[in-house]
Amino acid sequence: MNTSLLQQVLDRNTRIDESPVADLDVNFGLLDEYSKREIRRAILTAVAVPGYQVPFGSREMPVARGWGSGGLQISLAVVGPDDVVKVIDQGDDEGVNAVNLRRLIVSSTGIPESTTPEDSTLIQTRHRIPEDPLDERHTLILQVPVPEPLRGVERDMRELARMHAEADYARMWVSLYEDKVRNGVITRTTGYPCLVNGRYVIATTPIPRWDVPRLHQSRFLSLFGAGREKRIYAVPPHTDVEPLTFEDVPFEVEITPGAECRSCGSSESFLVEVPGSTTDGGGHWVCSDSDWCRRHRERRQHPSRGDRS
Amino acid sequence: MGYAAARGGLKAIEAAERLVARERVLGESPWLESKQMIEKLRLAVDRVMGEGGLWDEHLAASALRQAEGDPIEAAHLLRSYRSTLPRLAYTTPVDVDDLVVLRRIVPAFRNPPGPQLLGRTTDYTGRLLDTNDETTQRTAAEKMAAFLEENVTFTTDESADGAPDDDPVEGRRPRRLLDLLRDLDAVVDRRRVDDPEPFDITRHPARPPATRSARLATMARAETGALVNVWYRNILGPDGYLHEITLGEVRHGRLPVRVVHPLTGDEISITDVRVTEVEAIEDLNGIDEDRGRFDVGYGLCFGHNEKKAIAMANLDIACERDKGRTFLEQSILLTTDGLDASGFLEHLKLPHYVTFRSMMERKAAIRRHQKSV
Repeated sequence: MNTSLLQQVLDRNTRIDESPVADLDVNFGLLDEYSKREIRRAILTAVAVPGYQVPFGSREMPVARGWGSGGLQISLAVVGPDDVVKVIDQGDDEGVNAVNLRRLIVSSTGIPESTTPEDSTLIQTRHRIPEDPLDERHTLILQVPVPEPLRGVERDMRELARMHAEADYARMWVSLYEDKVRNGVITRTTGYPCLVNGRYVIATTPIPRWDVPRLHQSRFLSLFGAGREKRIYAVPPHTDVEPLTFEDVPFEVEITPGAECRSCGSSESFLVEVPGSTTDGGGHWVCSDSDWCRRHRERRQHPSRGDRS
Repeated sequence: MGYAAARGGLKAIEAAERLVARERVLGESPWLESKQMIEKLRLAVDRVMGEGGLWDEHLAASALRQAEGDPIEAAHLLRSYRSTLPRLAYTTPVDVDDLVVLRRIVPAFRNPPGPQLLGRTTDYTGRLLDTNDETTQRTAAEKMAAFLEENVTFTTDESADGAPDDDPVEGRRPRRLLDLLRDLDAVVDRRRVDDPEPFDITRHPARPPATRSARLATMARAETGALVNVWYRNILGPDGYLHEITLGEVRHGRLPVRVVHPLTGDEISITDVRVTEVEAIEDLNGIDEDRGRFDVGYGLCFGHNEKKAIAMANLDIACERDKGRTFLEQSILLTTDGLDASGFLEHLKLPHYVTFRSMMERKAAIRRHQKSV
């Protein structure tokens, strides 16, 4: 290696678009090929056993643990020269950490980037699934801070391993029941526990409940990477993903009646609140998926233009 | 738009990088040389190599400079650099009896077999801050240098090169105290054969129940402060009770690194590394334990880092005696890595407005329910 990786990344920054792979001193996708192979094997196991948390020898990445190191390892292990990558954080392509992860992927592979799911093949995300429908062309790579859905009811990892092995989720059900009885509603927020393929309970990362139904019988592959906890799990296409709830207690997603995006007018996307920014002291709402919001706004303003989603 | 101002994109990142560079590049002081750090900030460089799991003083010094002196950040730079390199060969197992000591303390006996060798330490030097101005300090250092050059012959490093026929009792490869205790039948024999290959924590996640080699490897690479904290929590009680342990060996020295030559097939020594090694003698007092004997915990880490090796040896024996009854092993395996803990802590700075929106919605749902009943 002649030039330090940092320098290459910084240099490349200024010419991200036309950078060919060949002039890069580091290996394609940063990781050495042995590491990539090991991560791919873990991914294959994860796909073969939906929802099972596969242990893997998580590498230290040029981003800190907790900052998407698991998602980044998956992205760099599966990326090929024909891929196009989209990276979002909170649904936003311009979030600073999304930008940082994207420039690492792009600068170590030379592949093109996009903000539009339609043009992308790999979508690495933190906390959201894009609003656009995804399909067989897409691999969704989710960054997972805490992969263990049962930690709230059990802290001993030996016991956790037994509970998953025996599909003993009784205490999870009891905790949901107690939650409902004490609070009147199930108070779980993001990362809602789901049963995958009728077998393993997973933590749906912290994606909002809004996004959870989109994992069920999806057309795309979802890969979950927890770098710090050294676990990879998957929801393959056309797999059941059922949020844990009771027959007479409907699963509720985040909906605030009357809320709509101030930019694009949507009330059918996941909205986040912008508090107290109008003169009467009230807040307003905007889409968290910034790219979808932009296109939705353009469609409303210019209905004649091509609708790509 | 509200949060848009805090969204930065590439321009904000680049501006932040320039701000970091400003003091480092435009400041008045000269370039901080790696050699300066290796010589004058030796313990910091050693700590970074230990926590980074990579023996290379120059890379560690570079990392420390790039990380503006933050040892955890520097260890992160070293480890993520490692991730880009293929693993081409394995060293052959080294017998720690090959350690050539630069320093060796045996607190358990007044006159142990072999030397009590203080070596390079400030243990018995008063902690008095030098408050003289820099010019005075420099002059004093120059005087000291002249004095040392004139009057003192240092033998440590020369003899540390270690003639193999070094006297095993008085020389640089002293017999260890554990051997004596074994001769005296004063320690339980815990040698085992069910963990022959050392667990590789860089390739497999160590989870409880784990092998002893997994625990030792985890602690050898752990963040020093984290390990000291886990040890201290087991002294003061919140996590357990370690009664006072007697140290049998505290060693700092050089260990040879050997590989099998790819062509000749012979074992060859390619370099040596400095390590700190500790043996901790534990008085067994549990009802299911051999009260007539001691047991010994082991600690070894890169560089000169006695705090870490002592905590490690204490926790090794504590974990052995705990036999999985408490969360001690899980604490050691899961909570002592500096990169894991600090990375996750710092990730809280990332935007969390999607999750927070989801929490706000549930709070409203709970309040609606509270009003309705």
